Amino acid sequence: MPDLSPLYTLLAHLLPFECMQARFMQQALTGVLLLAPMAAAMGIMVVNFRMAFFSDAISHSAFAGVALGLIFSVDPNWTMPVFGLLVGLGIMILQRHSSLSSDTVIGVFFSALIAFGLAIVSRDRTLARDLQRFLYGDILTISDGQILCLLVLFLAFMIFQVVSYNHLLYIGLNSGLAQAHRVRVAIHQYIFAGLLSLIVMFSVQAVGVLLVTAMLIVPAAAARNVARSAGSMFWWALLVSISSAVIGLILSAQDWARTATGATIIMVACGWFLASLVVAGFRKEQS
Amino acid sequence: MAATDITLQQHPVVPAVRFENISVERGGVSILDGVTAMVPKGSCTAIIGPNGAGKTTLLLALLDEITYQGRIHLTGNGVHPQIGYVPQRLAFDRGMPLTVDEFLAMGFQKKPLWFGISRDLHQQSMNILALVNAEHLVGRRIGALSGGEMQRVLLALALLQEPDLLVLDEPSAGVDFQGEHLFCELLDELRQIKGFTQLMVSHDMATVTHHATHVICLNRKVAAEGPPQQTLTNENLTAIFGMHMGLVNSRSMPDDQAVCSASCCQEPPDA
Repeated sequence: MPDLSPLYTLLAHLLPFECMQARFMQQALTGVLLLAPMAAAMGIMVVNFRMAFFSDAISHSAFAGVALGLIFSVDPNWTMPVFGLLVGLGIMILQRHSSLSSDTVIGVFFSALIAFGLAIVSRDRTLARDLQRFLYGDILTISDGQILCLLVLFLAFMIFQVVSYNHLLYIGLNSGLAQAHRVRVAIHQYIFAGLLSLIVMFSVQAVGVLLVTAMLIVPAAAARNVARSAGSMFWWALLVSISSAVIGLILSAQDWARTATGATIIMVACGWFLASLVVAGFRKEQS
Repeated sequence: MAATDITLQQHPVVPAVRFENISVERGGVSILDGVTAMVPKGSCTAIIGPNGAGKTTLLLALLDEITYQGRIHLTGNGVHPQIGYVPQRLAFDRGMPLTVDEFLAMGFQKKPLWFGISRDLHQQSMNILALVNAEHLVGRRIGALSGGEMQRVLLALALLQEPDLLVLDEPSAGVDFQGEHLFCELLDELRQIKGFTQLMVSHDMATVTHHATHVICLNRKVAAEGPPQQTLTNENLTAIFGMHMGLVNSRSMPDDQAVCSASCCQEPPDA
């Protein structure tokens, strides 16, 4: 496994806070710096595709992913993303080929996955206590292996964004029109669902099941309030997401705060959202 | 169907599209039943029929957006003729911060929009917007456009494809009479300049009689097909709409032109 120490040292130099001298904080910072831009860019599409419920269902399949890890004696940190990916693709297949509305399809998956996960997890009292980790997230325990996985995911995400951003925007605007103009809607939707599932599952480790949708939605919503074009919305969402992640991580580690990292990150992002509302209101008054 | 045979005998027509025995079923209900029709090259063809006649379904089959039985033959300049599509209304999130030039660029530009729009494509969009008298809309958010403005922008998007076939679903929907008339005039003009074939679905008999050169009367099956003066007869219209329309007087149409008999289109008595 490649040695990530030089990267951690660089980050500690760039952010010379006392709390950033600890290795686990440097690892956590690397994790959020990889996750935040992915969540921001995917969040724009989640808002455009109206897929907030989809990401919620994926995040809640974390329980079932953990349960499967238990059954097959595999580390739950690996079964979770793999299971999330399968669930995401499964929902997309059913959505595209069923006459049921998409929220009904997702609702059925959502209930079945939670029920299955909780049924298995409830058999093991030790793990039932450990569920808190998945509910609230724990980015401070991220390992080098997971960071390397995130790096690979980040690379795939970047390629997908550069190649498909415009087409995804088109599909999000109106899939019928996109199809009529020869955009390959199905393949874009499947790759998007797969990548989103993986990003959601890694985000569960950072901010927890309860807050993962906020990590996707809040930066995109704040960006939407201030951006004047689709291009600038992307950069605003990145700014909100990355700054919230870094500030939230550092704030949560302060002695006076001692708050859950995931929750603190989301609170900072919500602060951005409130500020964006003020900007949007001010603009409306001027026009 | 007799009207088509007469036309074919008089002037050999080159088809841009040929629908061959198209049938569509949804949930056990037949929406189109063995539709065989053609769209002459360079024509302005209108598909008319009552609600539920399968007009939009036929367009969706042409655009390959639904599964259907039968065959659709397309002929164009290239191997795959380009189709430009102007939908009836675009259902989209009006809060989305997407400008008109981004809207026009996103289907053509490979570079992601967050790196900006290439100068060439921006110029191309400006030229097309000027053609549809909408260059002043280039920086506006698409969510802030009126129905008529959106229609022009959608037409500009379709024209950017340099289509061999321009497909329009209810071009008059959501636009007032004046706006609709101007839009159809604009389409006629563009068809002359660009040389594309135009296929539109319309409810509006006045639009069809004024602008169509070929009409397909549809009510799940093709009831009649041919030039407007031969198809828009009281008998055909009563047969497909189930009531007397009173809008079209086929005897008043000269050979090469459709004329509407609605009162607004009549010359004043003292003229």
